[in-house]
Amino acid sequence: MSDVNPIVAPSAPSGELWRIVASMTATCAIGAAILGGIYIGTERYAEEARVRGERRAVSELLGLDEGARVLEVRQFLTPARDAVVYQRPAEVGAPGRELVFSLDGTMLHDGALAGTAAEADAVREFHSLGRLFIAMREGAPAGFVAEGESRGYKNRIRFFVAMSADWKIAGVRVVEHEEDPGLGAEIATSWFQGQYVGRELAAVPRLDVTRDPMPEDWRGALRARPGAAAGDWASRFGTVASREAEKPIYAVTGATISSRALTDGVRATILHFRRRWELIGPRLLVPDTREAAK
Amino acid sequence: MSQPILLRERPPGARQLLMNGIFGENPVFRLALSLCPAVAVTTTVANGIMLGVAVLLVQVLSSVTVALTRRAIHPRVRIPVYTIIIAVWVSAIDMVLAGFFPSLYAQVGLYVKLIVAFAIIISRLEVFASRMPLIPTFWDGLGMGLGFLFALIVIGVFRELLGSGAILGYAVVPEKPLLFFALPAGGFFSIGLLMAFFNVLERRRNGGKASAGGGGGHGHG
Repeated sequence: MSDVNPIVAPSAPSGELWRIVASMTATCAIGAAILGGIYIGTERYAEEARVRGERRAVSELLGLDEGARVLEVRQFLTPARDAVVYQRPAEVGAPGRELVFSLDGTMLHDGALAGTAAEADAVREFHSLGRLFIAMREGAPAGFVAEGESRGYKNRIRFFVAMSADWKIAGVRVVEHEEDPGLGAEIATSWFQGQYVGRELAAVPRLDVTRDPMPEDWRGALRARPGAAAGDWASRFGTVASREAEKPIYAVTGATISSRALTDGVRATILHFRRRWELIGPRLLVPDTREAAK
Repeated sequence: MSQPILLRERPPGARQLLMNGIFGENPVFRLALSLCPAVAVTTTVANGIMLGVAVLLVQVLSSVTVALTRRAIHPRVRIPVYTIIIAVWVSAIDMVLAGFFPSLYAQVGLYVKLIVAFAIIISRLEVFASRMPLIPTFWDGLGMGLGFLFALIVIGVFRELLGSGAILGYAVVPEKPLLFFALPAGGFFSIGLLMAFFNVLERRRNGGKASAGGGGGHGHG
């Protein structure tokens, strides 16, 4: 007991080291506590704002009026990555529904989804494949929006692709990205996203990006589109638009990677959605036709 | 990083610190710091204003935080601690905007996220805030933030006018006079030309004597 413990006896360098470690640890702990507190206080509002923004994006993309009915379908990959689960949440007057397909397209399950907390817990382990939004008019689909993701220059780019009922691209909307302002962030502008609009499904597999400069008349047409009535715009710029309908997407100057990331994502999302819709579409819409027959 | 100039016995007054940030030691034109974001963002005036305001806010908050806590910061790890202070402020602003001001966040969210790695902010913490009391540090942070905002607006006006023929999105001339200035390479030329212009102004002010700074620094982040 009377011996001086050599480990505790402070030598100058190790004491210095401990103070450095303590200082850094304290700084990180305080920073983490502040950010944690702010996160808890703001998360709910941020989530609400995000959901509102997405709902608005979907109805704008599909040109829906306020009260239009939109079916939301969530897609998941099981943890074992051997099956895809489609869930349509229950809503007022319509029960939820769950479909499970193997990767080669064989149906494994088709049943009700009650919307219980236990079911919500079950999918927490699942890998989300994005959501589908199906606009319904008089019991038939009037348009689709598929959520997609792509790896951008800095972080993931999350976007919505809208298809009309006759399978043309109705619009593309980037809803989340962290590309650089002035460069990659230009992919989220209406003029860049306008390049996708009106392309036929048959042309989508060949959808590509070019670094050629965008022709000035096409740039003018794209800039004039937001806010212009569709008929007016078509009569003024119809010839330019049809000339460009089969051309590649013109990359943002200085941001070819971001432009390509979005274009590749849009192409993959549309082609996947087309294939999936053939499997799930007829089954998801069955209850509606039954109701209509009653 | 540029040489520290303000190591006098008594800290200078508010007016002097503000003018120093905007003209004498303008972050972009005189210290040549944070040139990459200055080039990337200034294709339009509006972009420049957004980033400038975001930097102004984070610079002042971080400078004040460092001035208040400088005695508790261990000198050997001061740079990592500064980085954490900046990151905490940036993340806090980001989350508050996302939660309570979603429409504003949709416009400025990207700019706020860029700021963590800004050379100008961390260099002011090291050069000024870590050695000075609270009040002068506040004025220095405000001056530097205003200087950065001022520089981005000047570059933005120059490039948007020449590159797109517009100011704040409103067409001033019908054609695009020199599209080159809207492109990234043109951004560097714009900053170079404006830097030369401000060097001439500074030389006139000092009575023909060349002053320190002005392009001697190395800007990253």
